[in-house]
Amino acid sequence: MSHSPGVEDDEADLTRKQRREQAREQRKALEEEAAASAKRKARLTQLGIVVAVVVAVVVVILIATGGGGAKKVAPHSAEANQTVAAVNTLVGGIPQSGNVLGNPNAPVTLQYFGDLECPICKEFTLGALPSIIQKWVKTGKVKIEYRSMETATREPEVFDSQQAAALAAGKQDKMWNFLETFYHEQGEEDSGYVTESYLQGLAQQVPGLNLTQWTNDRNNPALAAQIATDKQAANNAGFTGTPSFLIGKTGGTPSKLEYGSLTEPTSFNEAIEKLLKG
Amino acid sequence: MSARALRTTLIVLAALGIALAGYLTYLHYSGTTPPCSIKGNPCSQVQKSRYSELAGVPVALIGLLGYIVILGSLLAPEGEQARFATMALTLGGLGFSAYLTYREVFTLHKICEWCVGSAVLMTIMMCLSVWRFLRGDVDARAPTLAQADGPEPAAPPLGAAPS
Repeated sequence: MSHSPGVEDDEADLTRKQRREQAREQRKALEEEAAASAKRKARLTQLGIVVAVVVAVVVVILIATGGGGAKKVAPHSAEANQTVAAVNTLVGGIPQSGNVLGNPNAPVTLQYFGDLECPICKEFTLGALPSIIQKWVKTGKVKIEYRSMETATREPEVFDSQQAAALAAGKQDKMWNFLETFYHEQGEEDSGYVTESYLQGLAQQVPGLNLTQWTNDRNNPALAAQIATDKQAANNAGFTGTPSFLIGKTGGTPSKLEYGSLTEPTSFNEAIEKLLKG
Repeated sequence: MSARALRTTLIVLAALGIALAGYLTYLHYSGTTPPCSIKGNPCSQVQKSRYSELAGVPVALIGLLGYIVILGSLLAPEGEQARFATMALTLGGLGFSAYLTYREVFTLHKICEWCVGSAVLMTIMMCLSVWRFLRGDVDARAPTLAQADGPEPAAPPLGAAPS
């Protein structure tokens, strides 16, 4: 078999052509791979940017809606010690019995309807109330009954739980220490700060409170009954907000007390003086 | 999973999301108490809390709109941009769900099964749409389907040339 030179040239051409083709294919494949890899990289970058934006937006929303809202004062911290001292100065040495602060035989009874999360109640508790306690309760002329009325606390379950926590401290005759501490350290309204650990923290700031007993008492059905009674009483009195007050001679029928100011005790003083005279 | 199956799954999930968020939006506006299997009906407490609205807009409505826009991005002509939109929207949805779940667990200390349902739905949708975006599938009608139908698009056609 002999090959003509022309055929050999053709075969050589074909091989060269094939080689060129192959090289082109390979180049194309490499380019495509590079392009695909670049695309993948670009997609990953885009994904990363989206994730970063989402995280940033969520953080902004969290901060804007009140970043957890719990302004918790740690027991035994400097701030807590200050509160404990202030509360002790105010109600220490005054007889307490359940929700009542003051001499059991005081001629005048003031009923204070409040919601522990209500900021206006805080205004009163830290405003006019200390002077009322100083002038009338410490001298045995007036006793104050703290009664609950749900206003600022939006979740009924939370309201019941915090009120039962206060009443349970009352079982050890320390309710007023508990609620004064609550008002002193009150968080931002409706921020959901009243949690189990928050209530525990408050209880730890009540000097001499037996925590085991307090925990057991919180589930006492009598406390729930007391909350229901308070609610009924507030309804009967036609109260629409807190704080609201009933005042009267102890044992008599109380009447509504209209107040001009919550930081100045003037209206309270006048009403008390009138009752003491009459 | 083929590109088509992936897209269909996402469409079904988005439709479920619309139904769920639509129902919760209805409950919010009608003031109806949501049915809840957990004792004490925490769903009702979650949905009546201050966190049930964001800047005055009910979060259920925000969720409903979110699912609708996601469905829109899935029904839009298939392409890189549409897949990017679905991916970005579901990631945003997941972020929002994460925020709401944080509020439930750490602020309100209540868990609402409806909200968890939506969060789970959104998580699945996010995973699927991120996968779909990264692998860059194209629609069945596109001519390059044979090359693109797999996690590794455009495999080098080395076998095409004789050695």
